[in-house]
Amino acid sequence: MASVVLKGVKKIYGGNVVAVHDFDLEIKDKEFVVFVGPSGCGKSTTLRMIAGLEDISDGTVEIDGEVVNDLQPKDRNIAMVFQNYALYPHMTVYDNIAFSLRLQKMPEDVIYDKVTNAAEILGITDYLTRKPRALSGGQRQRVAIGRAMVRDSKVFLMDEPLSNLDAKLRNQMRAEIILLRQKLNTTFIYVTHDQTEAMTLGDRIVIMKDGYIKQVGTPTEVFEMPDNLFVAEFIGAPKMNIMKTGLVREGDKYYVTPFGARIEVTGEKGARLAEKGVGSREILLGVRPEHIVLGKEGENSIPCVLEVNEMMGSELHLHVYTEDGTRLIVRVPTVDLDEGDRRDLVQGKKLFITFAGKVMHFFDPVSEENLLV
Amino acid sequence: MNNTVKSPKRHMGLARSRAISNTVIHIVLVIISIIWLIPFVFILLQSFRCESAYQVGYVVPQQWGFDNYVSLWNSNFPKWYLNTFIIALVNAVAQTVIVLCMSYALSRFRFKLRKALMRFMLVLGFFPGMLTMIILYRVLKDIGLTQAHAVPGLILVYIASSGMGYYVSKGFFDTLPKSLDEAARVDGATRFQILRKIILPLSKPIVIYTILTAFMAPWGDFVFARYISFENSAGMNVAVGMYNWLNLDQITTKYTMFCAGGVIVAVPVTILFLCLQKYYVEGVTGGAVKG
Amino acid sequence: MKKYSDLEYLKLTKWQKFLYKLKMFFVGIPRAIKNGVFAIGRFFKNLIFGIGGFFKNLCLTFVRGDWKTKVSYVIMGFGNLMRGQILRGIMFLAFEGVFIFYMITTGGYWLSKLPTLGTVGPHEEYNAVLDAYTMAYGDNSFKILLYGVLTIFFIIAFAYTWYANIKQNKTAEEILKSGKKLKSGKQDLHSMVDDQFHKTLLALPMTGILVFTVLPIVFMILVAFTNYDGAHDGYNNSLFQWVGLDNFKTMLSWSGTGGHSYAATFGEILTWTLIWAFFATFTNYFLGMFVAMMINKKGIRVKKLWRTILVMTIAIPQFISLLYVSKMFAKNGLINLFLLNAKWINQAIPFWEDPTLARVMVIVINIWIGIPYLMLIATGILMNIPQDLYESSRIDGANAWQQYRKITLPYMLFVTGPYLLTQFIGNMNNFNVIYLLTGGAPTNASASWASGSVGHTDLLITWLFKITTGAESKYYLASVIGILVFAVVAVIALIVYNVLPSIKNEEDFQ
Repeated sequence: MASVVLKGVKKIYGGNVVAVHDFDLEIKDKEFVVFVGPSGCGKSTTLRMIAGLEDISDGTVEIDGEVVNDLQPKDRNIAMVFQNYALYPHMTVYDNIAFSLRLQKMPEDVIYDKVTNAAEILGITDYLTRKPRALSGGQRQRVAIGRAMVRDSKVFLMDEPLSNLDAKLRNQMRAEIILLRQKLNTTFIYVTHDQTEAMTLGDRIVIMKDGYIKQVGTPTEVFEMPDNLFVAEFIGAPKMNIMKTGLVREGDKYYVTPFGARIEVTGEKGARLAEKGVGSREILLGVRPEHIVLGKEGENSIPCVLEVNEMMGSELHLHVYTEDGTRLIVRVPTVDLDEGDRRDLVQGKKLFITFAGKVMHFFDPVSEENLLV
Repeated sequence: MNNTVKSPKRHMGLARSRAISNTVIHIVLVIISIIWLIPFVFILLQSFRCESAYQVGYVVPQQWGFDNYVSLWNSNFPKWYLNTFIIALVNAVAQTVIVLCMSYALSRFRFKLRKALMRFMLVLGFFPGMLTMIILYRVLKDIGLTQAHAVPGLILVYIASSGMGYYVSKGFFDTLPKSLDEAARVDGATRFQILRKIILPLSKPIVIYTILTAFMAPWGDFVFARYISFENSAGMNVAVGMYNWLNLDQITTKYTMFCAGGVIVAVPVTILFLCLQKYYVEGVTGGAVKG
Repeated sequence: MKKYSDLEYLKLTKWQKFLYKLKMFFVGIPRAIKNGVFAIGRFFKNLIFGIGGFFKNLCLTFVRGDWKTKVSYVIMGFGNLMRGQILRGIMFLAFEGVFIFYMITTGGYWLSKLPTLGTVGPHEEYNAVLDAYTMAYGDNSFKILLYGVLTIFFIIAFAYTWYANIKQNKTAEEILKSGKKLKSGKQDLHSMVDDQFHKTLLALPMTGILVFTVLPIVFMILVAFTNYDGAHDGYNNSLFQWVGLDNFKTMLSWSGTGGHSYAATFGEILTWTLIWAFFATFTNYFLGMFVAMMINKKGIRVKKLWRTILVMTIAIPQFISLLYVSKMFAKNGLINLFLLNAKWINQAIPFWEDPTLARVMVIVINIWIGIPYLMLIATGILMNIPQDLYESSRIDGANAWQQYRKITLPYMLFVTGPYLLTQFIGNMNNFNVIYLLTGGAPTNASASWASGSVGHTDLLITWLFKITTGAESKYYLASVIGILVFAVVAVIALIVYNVLPSIKNEEDFQ
């Protein structure tokens, strides 16, 4: 039940390797914040600096208004769940969960109540006398969460807690973490490399790359208005299609001209372009696969050739390439196609694709920043 | 057609050639075992020989008896044995504590001089340890821990330099996941509590390995013990004492006694070793792989 | 010279690849030299700047510090005491007190004598009571050298503590300025078992190493520059003095008395030491691996029994097994007597009397001693080799020998590289095997003039031992040999560490 404030936090290894650059972030009380990014982006390092497991090279970390830079992890009132669970192999599940309480010299009957209560919530009551090695991955994860739960700490840190689980279990545990969060009602900081986890769990998402924050925002914000090309490509699966193309201004109207087609920018996007006073120029055009539709030959459609057709069940992922070899992905809901059309989609088939004017994203080819931000 | 006829034959051939090679290997292993065991069987047999105390051209005694063991009992041997046993016992405890302290600190803490310290000790190891003997002898002599009082002196020397042998157990500690320490730190444990409650309970194999090697080393140490006891029988360990029995002036009368002494020394150590063999193997392989 | 791209390189034949690598190596030499020179230059530049910065810092701290800090330059711990860190303050102050007391009472004396190692030797003195001349003893060179070195150690420790004291004052000032609180004595004590726990852990072992290993080594290095020996023992017989590089000159000169020279003898023994270390290391290594592979093979029964039999020999103290085996092969030992009785030979086989035979015997018996260890190590590693490597290579059509050459051996060498190096160094200094088996025998007449009797199987380390125990006890020579052994070992280690794959490409097999 505390806010976490990071001001200009830096991590420098060995004098010159910068792992985290000036990290500024204010996490409100009871907020669920997710740090997401590819491996090596500094997200875990930042989390570990908050936990006190790494020294802070520069800047300050405040928990609940107190600067904790010089405090040991145990004095920061935090709980943490590790990627590989870090369960003590020689202790039973009960002892694992009770470990921190015993270090606090809590009476055994209080410990008993707390541990059994946590075990109840997590559904691991039956395993309390087992050793970790006799548990499955999901059960171990629950024990790790239980160990963190009983500490009643101000901040709950989770470092890629689901990445060692298989896909099915991961989905299930994700739902359970949402429930857990409602029960604990405390501040959560969650690190993951999986954008789906970030989108589904976070109140706000912090997207990082090479030690820099690329964008901070709610899941909707980062999905609909990515600040830059990196965020645009990182969030959403399959990833956004990027086309190098021209933006043409004709009076108040804007057109994009990918591969000889000519598509008008409509809706809010067009208005924003005009508002910003953008002229005709080179751009990187981004369109999400689900926003591309199959169409007929015409002025506003792009001719391309089908390379691979992936049947995903409820939808098809069509990998196509255009005349200059740019590869694009098109997501087509299966219900939109009838049997004959679907069978027709074989390698080498000529297709025409198009997209609506309101779903486009525009990036500067050099700075890779979103032109509308 | 050809294939279907051939394949069972080929199969038979494979099985047979494997059987032959396995038989050969079994024979080789038997021969190896004999070569490795023969000297020890000889020692055992000769320790019971009563007709002659010197080397003879046969192995099985003509007159069996415990004469050699009796004269062993009446010689200085019990004193030497006790000396060695005390040294081994104290060494096993103290050296284990020191090695564990050293290796835990070097494995788990990242302090400024850590790398330099490890490199320094590596380089230190390049010096022939024997050189230090000269001065250690004179210093120990000055404080009266040589000759008849060599036992405490030897213990001191063994223990004091035992920190250098941290490699193996550091290698073991390195294999325990660091996240265990981190989880315990978040849980509120001090570094000392982490060592006592998390690391030590998980380190049983390496603790036993360290105790075992520390206990066994003094039984075989010869050169240092000889230097420090300096011809004084009261301060000798078994190795130094028994070495003299094989000198030219004594060998003719003490050879079979040497065999009997060897048996008395080797049997307990070997039994202990075989009981704890599992941990020793773990330590040796782990240590060598980690370097 | 033209540099090939990866693809071009792959097209070359084996022979061309080798030539190319060789060429590139020689082409690279000038640059390597240049880099080396620059690196040394940088090192000295950094060193000078570092030292400069250090003193500048020291002065700046003095100038900018408050009066408590300034006083601390003279009275250690003063700032700590004034700022409420009583425990630290008392420790600093006590250390300073002890240091000053020591330097005044004894340290100064030893230090002042160190340059001469004593001037008054044992001499006769007139004793008025006895009305006769009696022996009187003066300085003690040995103690002067020993305590002189100890005092220098102490001074270094004091300088370091003094600097730590200054640094602490500086940080304490800064902390107080920023409005934070200093650590209390209780917190200090608590940090000794927590974030500073490593210092607690290392204190005792490092003190032991410092006093019982580092100090003696420094002492013995210094002895190489004196004439300390049995006759010049520093007290009873005669003092010893500094002689500069004389001992090294003696040891490394080719012209000696009667056509002998130390350099020749040293070279002879060093050659055998290296030959011995090479064979002792590699015979054990390959035969041990071989035995391990035999036991590991599928279809071999009672694996545990074979292993136990071999492992048992590790348990039996070496002095028993080695001495026994040594006597077994003696002229009137079991083997010879048996063979003579059986009339298979007419004359005892000179196992320990013939130089070549003795050398071979030592190596062979060392195999007997060493295989069990290697078998254990190899077993552990062999079990770690992923089985699918063998399965895929079998599908690729490799036979047993090819599997060994291409998978097992590279893997073993990769994993055990550092171990092999330590083994090699250990064997160079393998005192026990040689001393207990042969004692260096048979005597090498042409080398024995130097000091004591030198044998054909003597290693540098046993030679060194003999020199220190012989009648003359030429400690200074032993010391020179020790330093030379160190130099040889260091060079080998440096070379090996630079070519060893496990250090160069750490990820290859992971």
